[in-house]
Amino acid sequence: MSIVRWRPVLHQPPREKPRFPPREPRRWNVLCPIRYPKPVFPASRGVSNNYARKALRIVRAGLAPTPSLADAAETEVLFSETFPLKRTQTVEGKISVRLDPAEGDGSRWRLAVGCNLQGQWVLHWGVTYCDDLVSEWDQPPPEMRPPGSIPIKDYAIETPLKKSSSALEGQILHEVHIDFDSNSPIAAIHFVLKEEETGAWFQHKGRDFRISLKDFIEEDNASSGKQGFGIWLGTFDQISSLLVKAEGSSSKPQETVGEAKVTKWQNRHIQGFYEEYSLLKQEYLQNFMTVTVRKSDKSDKNIVQFDTDIPGDVVVHWGVCRDNGKKWEIPPAPHPPATKIFRRKALQTLLQPKTNGLGKWGLFLLDKGISGVLFVLKLNEYTWLNNMGTDFYIPLTSASSSSIQTRQDGTANEQLTWTEPQDMRHGQAQDVINARSEASFIQKSKTGVSENSSNNEETNQAVVHAAYADEIIYEIRNLVTDISSGKGKGTKSKEAQENILQEIEKLAAEAYSIFRSSSPNFVEESVTDAESLKPAVKLCSGTGSGFEILCQGFNWESHKSGRWYSELSAKAKELSSLGFTIIWLPPPTESVSPEGYMPKDLYNLNSRYGNMEELKDIVKRFHEVGIKVLGDVVLNHRCAHYQNQNGVWNIFGGRLNWDDRAIVADDPHFQGRGNKSSGDNFHAAPNIDHSQEFVRNDLKEWLRWLRREVGYDGWRLDFVRGFWGGYVKDYLEASEPYFAVGEYWDSLSYTYGGMDHNQDAHRQRIVDWINATNGTAGAFDVTTKGILHTALEKCEYWRLSDQKGKPPGVVGWWPSRAVTFIENHDTGSTQGHWRFPSGKEMQGYAYILTHPGTPAVFYDHVFSHYQQEISRLISLRHQKKIHCRSMVKITKAERDVYAAEIDEKIAVKIGPGHCEPSNSPKKWVLTAEGKEYKVWEAS
Amino acid sequence: MGRRAGVVKPELFMTRNLGLVEPRRIGSRTGRIRFDPATGRWRKGAVKVALNGVRSEMAVQEKELTSKRKSTGPVRLFVGLPLDAVSDCNAVNHAKAIAAGLRALKLLGAHGVELPVWWGVAAAGDWSTYLSLASMVRDAGLRLRVSLHLHASRLPAFPLPDWVSRLADANPDLLFTDRSGRRHSDCLSLAVDDLPVLDGKTPLQAFEEFFLSFRSAFSDFIGSTITDISVSLGPNGELRYPSFPPSTGSHRFTGVGEFQCYDKYMLADLKRHAEEAGNPLWGLTGPHDAPEYNQSPDSGNFFRDNGGSWEGPYGNFFLSWYSGQLLSHGDRMLSTASKVFGDLPVTLSAKVPLSHWWHDTRSRPAQLTAGFYNTYGRDGYDAIGEMFAKNSCAMIIPGMDLLDKEQPHGLKSSPESLLSQIMKACEKRGVMVSGENSLHVGIGAEGFKRIKEILSAENSSVDSFTYHRMGAYFFSPEHWPLFTEFVRSMAHPEIDSDDLPCNEEEKLSLSADMVPENDREMQAV
Repeated sequence: MSIVRWRPVLHQPPREKPRFPPREPRRWNVLCPIRYPKPVFPASRGVSNNYARKALRIVRAGLAPTPSLADAAETEVLFSETFPLKRTQTVEGKISVRLDPAEGDGSRWRLAVGCNLQGQWVLHWGVTYCDDLVSEWDQPPPEMRPPGSIPIKDYAIETPLKKSSSALEGQILHEVHIDFDSNSPIAAIHFVLKEEETGAWFQHKGRDFRISLKDFIEEDNASSGKQGFGIWLGTFDQISSLLVKAEGSSSKPQETVGEAKVTKWQNRHIQGFYEEYSLLKQEYLQNFMTVTVRKSDKSDKNIVQFDTDIPGDVVVHWGVCRDNGKKWEIPPAPHPPATKIFRRKALQTLLQPKTNGLGKWGLFLLDKGISGVLFVLKLNEYTWLNNMGTDFYIPLTSASSSSIQTRQDGTANEQLTWTEPQDMRHGQAQDVINARSEASFIQKSKTGVSENSSNNEETNQAVVHAAYADEIIYEIRNLVTDISSGKGKGTKSKEAQENILQEIEKLAAEAYSIFRSSSPNFVEESVTDAESLKPAVKLCSGTGSGFEILCQGFNWESHKSGRWYSELSAKAKELSSLGFTIIWLPPPTESVSPEGYMPKDLYNLNSRYGNMEELKDIVKRFHEVGIKVLGDVVLNHRCAHYQNQNGVWNIFGGRLNWDDRAIVADDPHFQGRGNKSSGDNFHAAPNIDHSQEFVRNDLKEWLRWLRREVGYDGWRLDFVRGFWGGYVKDYLEASEPYFAVGEYWDSLSYTYGGMDHNQDAHRQRIVDWINATNGTAGAFDVTTKGILHTALEKCEYWRLSDQKGKPPGVVGWWPSRAVTFIENHDTGSTQGHWRFPSGKEMQGYAYILTHPGTPAVFYDHVFSHYQQEISRLISLRHQKKIHCRSMVKITKAERDVYAAEIDEKIAVKIGPGHCEPSNSPKKWVLTAEGKEYKVWEAS
Repeated sequence: MGRRAGVVKPELFMTRNLGLVEPRRIGSRTGRIRFDPATGRWRKGAVKVALNGVRSEMAVQEKELTSKRKSTGPVRLFVGLPLDAVSDCNAVNHAKAIAAGLRALKLLGAHGVELPVWWGVAAAGDWSTYLSLASMVRDAGLRLRVSLHLHASRLPAFPLPDWVSRLADANPDLLFTDRSGRRHSDCLSLAVDDLPVLDGKTPLQAFEEFFLSFRSAFSDFIGSTITDISVSLGPNGELRYPSFPPSTGSHRFTGVGEFQCYDKYMLADLKRHAEEAGNPLWGLTGPHDAPEYNQSPDSGNFFRDNGGSWEGPYGNFFLSWYSGQLLSHGDRMLSTASKVFGDLPVTLSAKVPLSHWWHDTRSRPAQLTAGFYNTYGRDGYDAIGEMFAKNSCAMIIPGMDLLDKEQPHGLKSSPESLLSQIMKACEKRGVMVSGENSLHVGIGAEGFKRIKEILSAENSSVDSFTYHRMGAYFFSPEHWPLFTEFVRSMAHPEIDSDDLPCNEEEKLSLSADMVPENDREMQAV
């Protein structure tokens, strides 16, 4: 059975039916105490009685001790309240798709789609007619539509699934049958499932299901006839494409469903099949948490008892406060059992399972001086629950118990929950962990036009969102207070403005989070703690000895002579004596462009750099002088040999004679029939669909062949932004390179923030990619290059230290996977797309050749007047055994000078400013210098 | 204690104005400098923001739109949408983020947003995606400035229309070409403007068709939502030669650049021109002694500050021709555009570059290679201003945030003086100015201050300002507060309490159920 992660798309979860008093009256109540000049919602007065009645229900829950507490009846109950907790749970079920011949007539077939989860399931479906080449959705012919079908627009049908009576208990619950005639001109049936209650759509990896009934390939006369029956991923639903990104990044592409079941079949012959897909659906669950405060008779303490029916681990994340400020503090020890301190701000206590197995409980013993307990609940890393958007608050003082007393009067006014109404404002953006008092003061003192009161209904559950929303709001607030003067405004405009302000802040935070998350996998945690990114195991593959120094053995013009291999071969000895350990050769395959980056027949190794024999010779030659050789492999795209019947170049030739199924579907230029690309598209050539297993197998075999036949030791991977890093892992595990490095070059941070000091987002993307490869490959440290550019060009050397005092590039986070460089054939050479500041190259080399990471030197620089200086730095690196994991200590990062010590063996400074390493603990001797850089060694 | 401080703060809040209320006595008290929150009048308007999903309804009583604004009106603020708001596959990118962003901008008091429209995406006539974005903008109660990009972009990648790229592959001379024969694939050479090289059509005809197609598709929006249309005149949308190295984004390059007159059509014209001038030898090729892209002006003889050949008769001949070609290209483009859009109640505009590096030399090579014959003592922008005036077109000038003192040393750069020169030319010719920030650098507090200065200057002819661009950085905590402060400070600096709305209807009411919805959306991210 194929496991596919399903996810509701498109629709928001349903609104729960109100379990709380209607919000209108509450709003009025909220407004009352602050003497709002005129009732804003006059209608609410009329309802307030009604409200009082309804409200009593929960209030009762809050006041009457629950039966479970009866045993402790002797002690005085100061406070007790039951909080409703709403959480989501993922339930797993399955969808089954069955195709059978119907009884009787041989040409009648029946498609049955079933689902074994509760819900109001609807099949949203359409068909493709045979003459329709573009595989659009169309409405099925009337005779195909089961009873109860509703046409949707002019291209689809919705048919509800019925509770199946034939199925066994606990088995299929809902099913729909579609009967059709195999002689009808229908090429395919598409469908998605919809759950009416939640409005959630279930697709297959973000695409429609597609049941292919005719063999397109055969009819189209295409080369491959082995196309089988099965479920193919159909055209992409445009609306959902907006949301699928998120899905794509989190769920790993799985094997294509149904491919395994390919069976040979003749045209117009259908074979029955049965397939199941697992389905994950989110459901809302209601749980409760009862908190009871009692006086301890033994000591002068209060006992706070937590009692909940949530299954699984429940951690109370809590703190106490000593005044009304609700400022989180940690209570003095002793703490309850199973408690740990969280970032010096809060305690986390794991609740104990109850003896009856249904839920959890815990007792906290607290001093009398404490006025209240604040808490939120943590169910797991990602799920936190709070109280309608704010922290839970349990008052412990007698003052608060008297407030309970007043509430018992039962007047409408007292229906205010015991939490101060203003606090509900926190809900939107307050980081539940960190109560930022300044911000909340402002909020509290606002007169609440209570757009928030509806919090009650909905946002009981709060997955903790990152602190940035809070951050923005906080900063804007500060800013706002700076803008001064003027007085005496009417209250209302004040409120209006405050509302608008809040709204703006919230919206900006929202927009920011979405924009930011559209860049792949930006994980806040990994920014703050880079160390955790490093996988614990599997360090060796693809990273060489750690002492490697790489030379890029060509530039953009190298193809011109037609005999580059022989020319470079002659320099092998020289490169070896300069100290290089790895050379990167140009792309070896036949290519549409002379430079080699538009490969065509992967097995044809005759290129403008020389023929295959010459390639083997040069590899052998480098091996002789002790240099490993990297092949430049272009896996992202491949140029086609032939046009299809529409004149589109998408049919490949040569040994890997793929067709348009090997091409990603989302680049209309090439009309690929594969899946959507797992990365960015490179538009000049068809992008290969790495999600196809046959493509991956072919590429793995090709890489192995290159290793074997040519003798390459590893890879430089071109344009790896174009596909998911997980595939790279696959390829590397199959080809077992000694060293591999990927070109993940994106310049986003330069579009918006070339001047930013903090380039964490940029390096994060590179680190994310390395992570996706499971650390099997390194990546060019584009971030370091970019920062060097600005630092050197503008004399801003302070940029070379990040906020934590580490190098600001990838090398600061994951040095062993960072391949540092200052120039390559694209950025420099005759292309000059992003040239290193002219005349300052040696400063760049002084940096990368002394720092951790694996430095790469560009051919043009090796054979230039810089050779002497570069050679000196390389030999120093070898001599001092600086390696890719060496430790850097930045000693200075100021406007005009940067200085660092590496492994306490080398000290380096770059920039025009003056700096000498201090000679007190050890003595430093100047060992290399040039224009605006100096290097010392420890003597 | 802390609590008391907290109580004080709201007093401060309400003193600032959100730009939602139009002061009554603006002239007497505040001067004219502010962003007009919208052309609508808010005193009678009620704004209702329902944050359910992505919809927000704005009921705004709209004021009659005047097509030609008085130059003393308030500066209208636009914010650029992401360049890839509509992807190269013609789908809306970042829809949710944009929806939130639009609401935020509306509440902040922005006038509208700028929507980049790519020829390469919409040439086929499928406007549906752009239309849906335009409706989003309209529904958010914002105005729209549409930039019709007829060029290609490298990052994000937006190529020319397929068929044009194919033709250019077949005949590379359709593209701008430099001395060593490298092509600029992002824009057609201006020399082919009137030649039937596109399957029998001239590029101008193709552009006209594109404009017409846009006009008919957006007829419902033009004049109401769409208030401005700008057309691209060359690489990066600017009136210039692509004097940067091929396929470089414009932002990183600060060299002198190279002349781009080496496609066969340009060369043929140069030849003809030289023959007419009686110096056929001058027409054989471009200046032989000009330096390469990244070299310093002194590397060749051409731009040398003292006695360089730019000052000699040949230099004058060549530069006059080279810049004249650009000028007449601009004229052709703008008259085509005003033929199509001239009768509509929209402001037509086009962009000139701010090639400020090397401005402090005598020869100003970066401007010369870009096609502006603006050497020391010779005003190259007056003719440009005249050409814009003739076509009743507003001039977009980027780089209003740039400060001389922040430029890298050694580039002899002076954005401030170049900007003021161009703006003077506009003022002289009565051309309205539309400002932009430089697209490529993060803008700091200083930059905002500089923009404010320019926009608030007495008698400035700046009619609108477009801020680039919405995206993650734009909304980030480093940037967003600066931006809000900028907008606020541009809005009415002071208002009296009786300028504020005082009856119930005018109150801004925020729909009650928005919070949880919104909250959840944020959590879901």
